Amino acid sequence: MRKFILKSVLYVCVILLALEGIVRTFHLYTEDPPRFIDEYGVEKRVPGYRGYAVTGNRNQNFSQFNINSSGFNSAREFAPSTRGFEIAIVGDSFIEGFHQDYRNSTGIKIENLMPGVEVYKFGYAGYDLANQLHLIHAYRNQFELIDQIVIYLNYENDLNRETYTPNHQRIAMLASPVFRIRDHIKLLSYVSKIGIMDSFKGLAVGGNNTAAKKGAYRNNIMVESEDSRNRKDSLRLENFKRLVSQYGFDKSKTAILLDTRKTSNVFLNFCSVEGIDIIDFAASFEASDEPTTLIYDAHWNDHGRTLIAAEIVTFLQNNRTDPALPGKLLTSYKDPRPIPTN
Amino acid sequence: MLFNSIEFLVFLPTVFLLYWTVFNKNQKYQNILIIIASYLFYGWWDWRFLLLILLSTMVDYYVGQRIYSHQDKQKKARYWLWASMAFNLGLLGVFKYYNFFIDSFVDMVSQAGYQMRSVWTLQIILPVGISFYTFQTMSYSFDIYYKKLEPTRNLISFIAFVSFFPQLVAGPIERASNLLSQIDKKRSFTYEQGSSGIKLILWGLFKKLVIADSLAPIVDDIFANYASYPASTLIMGVCLFSFQVYGDFSGYTDIAIGTAKLFGIELMSNFKFPNFSRNIAEYWQRWHVSLSTWFRHYLYIPLGGSRVTKYKSLRNICIIFLVSGLWHGANWTFIIWGALHALFYIPVFLMGRNRTYADNVIAENTYLPSLKELLQVAVTFGLVAFSRIFFRSQSVTDAFSYINRIFTDFTFSSYVHPLGYRMFDFYLLIALFTVYEYLIRKDERNPFKFNSRYTRLFVYTVLVMGILLFYDDGINRSFIYFQF
Repeated sequence: MRKFILKSVLYVCVILLALEGIVRTFHLYTEDPPRFIDEYGVEKRVPGYRGYAVTGNRNQNFSQFNINSSGFNSAREFAPSTRGFEIAIVGDSFIEGFHQDYRNSTGIKIENLMPGVEVYKFGYAGYDLANQLHLIHAYRNQFELIDQIVIYLNYENDLNRETYTPNHQRIAMLASPVFRIRDHIKLLSYVSKIGIMDSFKGLAVGGNNTAAKKGAYRNNIMVESEDSRNRKDSLRLENFKRLVSQYGFDKSKTAILLDTRKTSNVFLNFCSVEGIDIIDFAASFEASDEPTTLIYDAHWNDHGRTLIAAEIVTFLQNNRTDPALPGKLLTSYKDPRPIPTN
Repeated sequence: MLFNSIEFLVFLPTVFLLYWTVFNKNQKYQNILIIIASYLFYGWWDWRFLLLILLSTMVDYYVGQRIYSHQDKQKKARYWLWASMAFNLGLLGVFKYYNFFIDSFVDMVSQAGYQMRSVWTLQIILPVGISFYTFQTMSYSFDIYYKKLEPTRNLISFIAFVSFFPQLVAGPIERASNLLSQIDKKRSFTYEQGSSGIKLILWGLFKKLVIADSLAPIVDDIFANYASYPASTLIMGVCLFSFQVYGDFSGYTDIAIGTAKLFGIELMSNFKFPNFSRNIAEYWQRWHVSLSTWFRHYLYIPLGGSRVTKYKSLRNICIIFLVSGLWHGANWTFIIWGALHALFYIPVFLMGRNRTYADNVIAENTYLPSLKELLQVAVTFGLVAFSRIFFRSQSVTDAFSYINRIFTDFTFSSYVHPLGYRMFDFYLLIALFTVYEYLIRKDERNPFKFNSRYTRLFVYTVLVMGILLFYDDGINRSFIYFQF
């Protein structure tokens, strides 16, 4: 019996070591650069990290990220000036873009379509509108120099609070020894990514894990009552108004990027009445023959990002060009010097 | 509780350690622990079903004594045997077949032009594994009746025999002469048995989690949307289903046998690489062996088997396969599946080749199979896969429509995985799995028969890595045969 247990433990250890080696060799694990909250209360990544974000069990999506000196995943450093035309895109993980090589991000695609423009992506997984407006307000010196702000709004998730408070708890949790160990043991990081750890968590909280999975592929449509939907819509609109009144919203150079298929008409009507610009990508996604999202999660794939970039460019061409000089973008500062085209 | 759940990962080592430490004093304590563990294991689904299994156990324990006490009065013994059968088949009848027969009757009457609404059907759930444990308890009564076994006087042993958790819900269906005799004896732990058990568990988990579970979304998609797929995809769908159901059921069996070994108990083999069968008869000697054995001992032989006239032998074969179909499920699809197998079996039987491959495997004395063997395997696999269209389809109409498309829309187009995964991964997986099974084809109880310790370690690592590479968090992990 003792021999059996000892040999079993030994074999398990050797196999785990071998698996750790395989996971490291083939880079099956994903990297999550550390996060922090800066002196302005903005949650972001620690600058200077470069690594690979991996999706799926078998490296189905593999992309490099680069955290710039401002703490965001981008190929470019953020240095807005009064001369050039700069666009800031503020949003959550869709904008952060860990699912796409940072040298081929939505921002780079826009820059390729509109030479001379610089795109600053202030993307961070988990941002909602409170985070976004707080960030714009906190970095107002920079944003005053930026000519166009695009806020990506995931209507169903991003309007659930009326005020911003920095999430120190989450940062502390991610810096805790448990998470540090997870980040150092790549096998642990890998099994955590593919969902095996969720089963253990389920067991720890006493849930019957298998029961919840039954029919997971088939019954993923939730039916919501009209009453509940209306209540949520009015709460979201109230939250939007409160956040805007607290942090301000420069309608002259801010547009909201959203998917009207997932956005309530109440909110769309409000934006229309208030004169808030909307960049809707629903139609181009709907018309696309190719898939627009990744296979393994709901984030946009390369094609989806190309469509998003095209929508933003179309918006700029229709709304921010000088009528007297077609194709020439209007900066928010009427600098007499021409905008460089290359 | 599922073998492939995290709950079982905690449950098994706990029971194992208690069994060989705290309860190791004598066999009675060990059997009590087996009963507690088994009832916990089974009650994890729905505790109300425990009453059913307890009732079944008590009835057969009592009936077994009665049959034995009337051994010299054959008529009375037969009455008690009938009582056992009536009770067990009654349970199956109510929980599994009642609605099917009512609905079939209503359909038949409707076909005759009479309108009738089915108001007698029951709203009941099918208890997990009911067909398995009722057959096991029936075998106990049969063996006593046929004087092959003396009834046990030890109720604890008998409860442990009926409820032994590794094989309770999906077999192997054990005969009392094998399992009860082991439960009645003192067990002692041996390193070889324990290590062999762990290896079988690993191999079974691989087959279930990697082969069966990763193919499930593909098969589900193809069978649900067969009307929009060309023949090439439909053929692929049914071939993949063959691998899925094999991985699922034989994976379960390996885990069951491996788990039983950890408790010092040897269960019978249930699968002997059926995908390498050279004719249908060999297939049935390799697929779900415990069920085939049960039917042979308790139905085919009592009916006269093959020692009667040719006509009666053919009748017996048809009965066996039709009952086997019905055993699988209360649906005409299963009955047609059974009928097809009877149809495939009869020519082999008439040619006298039904025992030709009983004692040998493909490429018995060579490294590679001959061209003839390869052809035989391909034909057998094709026939079995074809019959599985009925086994997998929701209704007979669906099955015929599926077949109709195969023969009328013979076009080829590449298949796209419903979740977008690269299909090449799955083709490669199936190819490697088949090659590996071929390499180990001579011993189903020892999937890692390599002399070198390093080779074994390499294979273990590859299997665990395979489980991680194909693990899918969003899948329903239940076993297909639990529904039977």
